[in-house]
Amino acid sequence: MIKTILIDDEPLSREIIKSYLKKFPAIEVVEECNDGFEGVKSVQQHQPDLIFLDIQMPKINGFEMLELIQPMPGVIFITAFDEFALKAFEANAIDYLLKPVAEERFAKAIQKFLDSRLISGSAPTEAQTSDLLEKMAQSPAQNNRIVVKTGSKVKIIPVHEIQYLEADDDFVKIVTAEGIFLKNKTMAFYEQTLDTQQFVRVHRSYIIHISQITKIEPYQKETHMAILRGGQQIPISKTGYAKLKTILGL
Amino acid sequence: MTKFQSTLITRLPLVGAALLWAAFHAWILKYYFGFTWQVAGWDSFIYNLVIISGAVLLVLLLTYLPRTGIFQISIGLALLVATACQWIFGQAISAILPEVDYFEFMTQSMPIRWAFGIIALTSISVSSIYYSRWKESVEQQTRESDLATIAKDAELQKLQLQLQPHFLFNSLNSINALILVNPDEARKMIQELSEFLRLTIKRADEPWISLSKELEYLKTYLAIEKVRFGHRLDVILTIEEQSYSWSIPTLVLQPLVENAVKFGLYGTTGKISIELKANVNNDQLNIEITNPFDSDMQPSSGSGFGLSGLQRRLYLLYARNDLVKTNIHENIFTVNLTIPVKP
Repeated sequence: MIKTILIDDEPLSREIIKSYLKKFPAIEVVEECNDGFEGVKSVQQHQPDLIFLDIQMPKINGFEMLELIQPMPGVIFITAFDEFALKAFEANAIDYLLKPVAEERFAKAIQKFLDSRLISGSAPTEAQTSDLLEKMAQSPAQNNRIVVKTGSKVKIIPVHEIQYLEADDDFVKIVTAEGIFLKNKTMAFYEQTLDTQQFVRVHRSYIIHISQITKIEPYQKETHMAILRGGQQIPISKTGYAKLKTILGL
Repeated sequence: MTKFQSTLITRLPLVGAALLWAAFHAWILKYYFGFTWQVAGWDSFIYNLVIISGAVLLVLLLTYLPRTGIFQISIGLALLVATACQWIFGQAISAILPEVDYFEFMTQSMPIRWAFGIIALTSISVSSIYYSRWKESVEQQTRESDLATIAKDAELQKLQLQLQPHFLFNSLNSINALILVNPDEARKMIQELSEFLRLTIKRADEPWISLSKELEYLKTYLAIEKVRFGHRLDVILTIEEQSYSWSIPTLVLQPLVENAVKFGLYGTTGKISIELKANVNNDQLNIEITNPFDSDMQPSSGSGFGLSGLQRRLYLLYARNDLVKTNIHENIFTVNLTIPVKP
């Protein structure tokens, strides 16, 4: 049995997927979700093989939801109209369905998914998906916030509330006035996606929010130390200091 | 450079001209009338100072006057101020330079000074009126040309806004599903959607629309959204009778209602109600739209709910910046829109 979850905020939209799925008795819908929060919980609970994921949803969108789940199930994206997402799909050779969803097109997507389970390599790889998520993180809809999971709860952090980011093994620590949140991403990812006028990678392990800096003091030879508003001391490497200087116009 | 410094620099030629004129004045007194530099200097300094102060006073006064009959009033005022200047000069200079031969010269030169004062002050006040009118018309022109460019830029965007691909495809998707589960409802939805598209096309070229027509349009839009999210969307309209005929610019109310739906409906998951109130008060149409939103959620696009474009459009139409006001109270978002009489 192939377990699947439908994640879409419109009941009618889920209805049509369910009725198309009747022709595929091997696929069982284990749950329907109204938004990304429910989606995260449901995926965690059921560990499905496949999810049908609408992109535009309340609270967090489909891509932000994917950032929060591990391991990644097979995903069939569904969207009405999102130029940014369509470009990203095409660039990453990822299959997607357009609303209104045509039955033949739907059948093809399912077939493709079923094939990929037999022949590994025909499905989008982990790398392709993470590349897609990276692209979408730069979309106007997402580039001003970061979605994290704390325990079973989902939290949305507005980018302007971030004080700094710190590398932590395979994770990145996101530090805000409210606390520290872990995100399963790389420093390079945030260096790429965050606004470079506001966030500077001042050190191999640190990205700081420029508006948080109160002081920059010389430290050991050729290195400096940034003092943030919250009192934290962040080391600045030689190259980091050069970057900081150009951005601050010193 | 501060604003003050830059104004000072643009005024420098004017100050230079005044100084040159005063020097010329003193020079004439010295070489044609044989006064000492000291006497000539005092005469020139006091006389020109009084005249310049009079001119500044006059220009300031003119900005507060009503526009009708301003030329007659300004000439009358110039006469008055010139006479006052004359008197002040006479008092001041006889206190500073009591010499007999100078006093004689001064009384003789009074008519000429008076005539000069009148001519100078009249021409200054008239040209200042013309200058301010010219500045106003330039401002008006930039406003109009800005409006034209914005209109052009908006053309494409407007098309997309009116067609609303996202809305359209989602509606078609709903119809697709309804055909299977509830064909009657599907038929109704197709009719609503057709009506919506018809009205969209019809109003495409109309820059102004009555509130009643706009509401009709919004009702078809909301009817479709109700089919998509019917289980949780409630719309309450409270419209005062005299508001219906009020002329409003198209594409002003629609984006606000769409915002309310977007943040109210798409942004939350429970039942919501969107309220729209309209009344006419003090010759202005007041519209209030309220919608709940999830205050824990950051709006996914941080552009202040996309209201800045609307604000700019209203400014270009009415030359007022205070027509859109927003307010967030707990989890209720309120927009207050004021629509003055069509200009």
